[in-house]
Order: sequence, then C-alpha cells, then structure tokens
Amino acid sequence: MRALLVACVLASGGAWAIEAGAPLPALGAPALEDPARTVSLASTKGEVVYVDFWASWCGPCRQSMPLLESMQKKYGPRGFHVIGVNKDVSPADAQRFLRQVPVGFTLVHDGGNKLAQAFDVKAMPSGYLADRHGVVRYVHRGFTSASEAALEREVAALLDEAP
Amino acid sequence: MKKLLLAALLLGGCTTVHVAPYERGYLARPDMAFDAGLGTGRAMEKIHPSKEAASGGASVGGGGCGCN
Repeated sequence: MRALLVACVLASGGAWAIEAGAPLPALGAPALEDPARTVSLASTKGEVVYVDFWASWCGPCRQSMPLLESMQKKYGPRGFHVIGVNKDVSPADAQRFLRQVPVGFTLVHDGGNKLAQAFDVKAMPSGYLADRHGVVRYVHRGFTSASEAALEREVAALLDEAP
Repeated sequence: MKKLLLAALLLGGCTTVHVAPYERGYLARPDMAFDAGLGTGRAMEKIHPSKEAASGGASVGGGGCGCN
C-alpha cells in the first residue's frame, strides 16, 4: 500500500520546477538547424547562460527574440550565451518564424519535451538565467517590457561577478 | 463491484491529463479558436434567431426577419 502511495505521488508530481538557486540540468538537445548535432547545457560552464523556451505560436516571443539577439551581440564577447529552446511541434514552423525574426544565437529543438519537463516550464516564454557556475539565478516567466529592463540589468551584474 | 472499482481506477487517469504551457502549439492555431476573430461569432448571433424564427432571440428587438 505504501509503495502504491509513493508511486502515485511520484507519478503525479513529475519534475520539480527549476527556480533560482537550482543548478542547470546537465541535459542536451539536438540543434535546430542540424539535428545530428547535440547541444549540451553543461558545455556552457564558465559562461553566463540564458536558456529561453520559445515557440513560433507564442505571441510575446516575437518581442523577446529580437531583444535576446541584441543582448547576445552586446554581451557575447564578455561571456554571455543565449540558448533558445524551440517548442514548436514541427521545426518547419520555427524556421518560418526565424525568417521573420532572424537570430544568431544557439537554437535547439526540444521535440520530445525532455528539456521542458526537466525545467517544468510553467509559461511561454520562460527564461532561466544561470551564472558562470551553472547555477540558475533568475527565472523569467512570460515577457513584458519590464522583463526587458530587468534582464539587461541581471546579465550585466552576473557578468561582473568574479568567475 | 470489482468491475466498478476497476473502471473508477482506470477513469481516474483521465482527471490528470492536462496540456502543459509548452504543448499548446496545436491549440494556438487560428483554426482551433471558437471564433476566428473575423466577426463570424457576431454574424452567427444575428442570423441564428432569424433562421429559428425566434423574435429577439439574442436579446435584439425585432420580428425575427434578420434585418435589424
């Protein structure tokens, strides 16, 4: 009986949501452009990383993607790395979106929901900003002009921290 | 009784099915909306009472001719 209860609790709870203070899960996903190549989140240690869950059907993503692109260009040389995790059902939808909103940062496709489940994504878009030690420091759920200013401030602060 | 219990147990699984925020790709398609946002809902509301000959069916005055 107790085993059954434990099983029920485990099955219903699923993954715990990643919040500030948790380490970035050491997972990988296939690159959007080249599915044969796997991009690992663990390979970004030593850099300030922003893992952003987005999709072509997500309205605010149209606003967040160009901003992330400009931040990648501005802070990239100092060790800032954006990884966009695409949640489209078909990568072709993502490509159509990217023709309208072109970005240059790393993009992966999370078709099997492995990453989204590990992070327990609660909103679209969701962004997880991790410091140089691979620890998540800030979580952004949804995207407004307020998150825009906050994100820029947080990235600059994390880059200034001693490695 | 045993069958009922089994059914309750199996159907219980249906209560936990939910769509995660990142799985709403299909739901976000324009053709999945109840109202496509082109005024089709309002048009239906106007036409339906007249087709049903229901005077003021959708809280609109008139004789059900569909002309007001």
